[in-house]
Amino acid sequence: MGSPIKPPDEDWWDVPVNRRESIWLGLSVAWSMILFGWMSLWTRIGDQNPIGETYDVSTEEYQEKVESYREEAETLDGSIVPPSDDIYVAGIRFQWRGLPVVVETGKTYKFHISSYDVQHGFSIRPEDVLSQHTNLLALPGYEWVIEMEFDEPGTYHVICNEFCGVGHSSMHGVIEVRDEVNV
Amino acid sequence: MIFDLFDNDYDEDGFRTCNVTGMSIHRSVENPVKVFGLTAVVALVVGGFFAIGVALTRWEFVGLLGPEEFYRWLSLHAWNLLIFWMVFLEIAILYVGGPMVLGRRLPIPKIAKVGWGTMVTGALVINYAIWTTEAPNQAPLLTSYAPLPSSPYFYAGAIIFILGSVVAALPFFVSLWQEKSWGEGGSLPLVTFGAFVTSIIAVEALLGGLAVMVYAFLWRIEILESIDAAVYRQVFWIIGHGTQQINLVAMVTVWYFLTHIVGGAEVVSEKVSRTAFVLYIFFINLGAAHHLLSDPVVSVSWRIWNASYAFYGATLASLIHAFAIPAGIEAGRRRRGKGGGLFGWLTNAPWKNPVFSATIFSIILFGFVGGITGVVMGQVQLNMTWVRTLATVGHFHGTVALGTTIAFMGLVYFVIRTMFMREFRFGRLASLQPYLYAATMTAATLMLMYIGLLYGVPRRIHSVVRDIPGTDFSLSAAEPLMMIFGVFALLAIISGAAFVVVALASVLFGEKKVPGSDLVPDGGVDFESDEPVHKFDMRGTFVITLIFLGAFIVVYIANWYLLSQLWSIGP
Repeated sequence: MGSPIKPPDEDWWDVPVNRRESIWLGLSVAWSMILFGWMSLWTRIGDQNPIGETYDVSTEEYQEKVESYREEAETLDGSIVPPSDDIYVAGIRFQWRGLPVVVETGKTYKFHISSYDVQHGFSIRPEDVLSQHTNLLALPGYEWVIEMEFDEPGTYHVICNEFCGVGHSSMHGVIEVRDEVNV
Repeated sequence: MIFDLFDNDYDEDGFRTCNVTGMSIHRSVENPVKVFGLTAVVALVVGGFFAIGVALTRWEFVGLLGPEEFYRWLSLHAWNLLIFWMVFLEIAILYVGGPMVLGRRLPIPKIAKVGWGTMVTGALVINYAIWTTEAPNQAPLLTSYAPLPSSPYFYAGAIIFILGSVVAALPFFVSLWQEKSWGEGGSLPLVTFGAFVTSIIAVEALLGGLAVMVYAFLWRIEILESIDAAVYRQVFWIIGHGTQQINLVAMVTVWYFLTHIVGGAEVVSEKVSRTAFVLYIFFINLGAAHHLLSDPVVSVSWRIWNASYAFYGATLASLIHAFAIPAGIEAGRRRRGKGGGLFGWLTNAPWKNPVFSATIFSIILFGFVGGITGVVMGQVQLNMTWVRTLATVGHFHGTVALGTTIAFMGLVYFVIRTMFMREFRFGRLASLQPYLYAATMTAATLMLMYIGLLYGVPRRIHSVVRDIPGTDFSLSAAEPLMMIFGVFALLAIISGAAFVVVALASVLFGEKKVPGSDLVPDGGVDFESDEPVHKFDMRGTFVITLIFLGAFIVVYIANWYLLSQLWSIGP
């Protein structure tokens, strides 16, 4: 008789369900579908999706890519100006190779994110609006290419938010976003 | 005195009848429950102690520890509370839910002892490994971030602990097998069924854990040349999050158990509640994927399928329990003539009994704080603003501290009264303690969420609010909320310590007394009435769950608004 520590009556499957519980079940199923539907829809209509191709890459290969990118690039006020719309970033304890970089508003860049050593958290926020922040992961052995387009100029700070060793908290870099980048 | 702890008044076959629950309890079950329970409390003390250094360092105004010590303390805090406190108590819950509820002896009791000994060994090795971490090894925190090396003893300890947990769970499985082979047939009691579901999810998690820790150990002792960070992460989270799903299901089982015994709750629909448990078996472990949503490697469809626990199957299960458990209290109390308006059944409940208040706080706070945020941060895109920030830490203090820990505190209080048969020492403090802990930990948890979400303050980091070494930039705007967090975190630690003081003082120095009717709901645990339980009014519960759904929707919309303010990311 309703005790959770005694075997239920034999016909427990056939006992009717209270009307309010049935309504709640309906609401729960509906809400679950909304949660699923909105998340799926956002991958098609939304502007923020952690989605991009991943490529296997050895540390040496990625180092070569980053270094040839750096050689090709010009600099502006000490920041790298990407020669094309590709931007290469690598985490290495305890700095961001490839930063600081200067980019233009309204232009879509392909960020290539990886690591030379261990896991790092590639976390970006504009200096003045800390509630806008995003957190992506840099993994050794994998090159993640993810597009980004900034609409507001300003200084964007990158910190590491995956534990990478005792010096973890000193890992900082900058993305400078300007309306125009003239070298 | 120590042996006195394990000596109740058993008949010549070793059984006694509990005058609170009416269960027929054998010595061979009761004593291991006490041993695993006490071991869990020891882990709580250790993990709680290390919380002091963690909180006082993250509260950079105090800045107690240097980075090396901080990461060491954080690791010890995590392993002792998230793993040892929980898993030791969960083995006790399996023994209660299995052989004790079924009125059986504990089968293969020697295996239970071997399991306990192995688990303790594993726990000691892990604590030792973390405490003695030296470069090039790094403190593992909870996760160990391969290819960042941890001490080889750490991986070895984890393997030992996992094996010990599987061994300790074996008597539970055997007792179910015995019940099914030799019992009277029919369905298992709901609590036993819940414990069984817990154990299935546990075995999945533990096997994943064994795989990943053996992989990492072989790499660390240089038998394997390299370790793949993505593979490590994916397999690690089978246990990393899986253990937390064990906590969830064990906690829900404890909710059904304790609300029935001290609150007079009844199961309003066996069909609905059992279906919800079955949904957990199929879907809840997909939740492990939430740790990989802002990672490279996995595909879009993999993210959506897993992030949603396959169309929110596990969320649906939790929503079902969110109604079924309070409805059980409401219907059960109305049936006993303890109704009275919309919420009279709740307001006239035994709020001074810490077993009851702890259980109710756990249900409410898990739902409103831990549950909602878990689903929200588990959405593929919203995850980018939550993951690896203090908001995540807020989420799992909502689940593990406000939910599971408070429920388990209630369970320990219950064991003290009904199995150790001790009156509470510091009785008034015992009554107050769940209130103090729930209030202070809720405040600290909410602050963590705000700090993480509104200021992007990372987790797992020594200093970032006042000072990021090497740059003028810092997240100092978060400082005012951090001050509030620091104060409430300390108060929460003190309230947790109050639990330990009451629990240990009662067990060691409490008056030995067979528990009286003060623990039992009005009309007794087995209240007979002709009216079937599903016919009683559940409108109070309906209102509460509608408020809950409203809060869920508001939090959901607010989070999507925040996300939509970001620059464009992804295709």
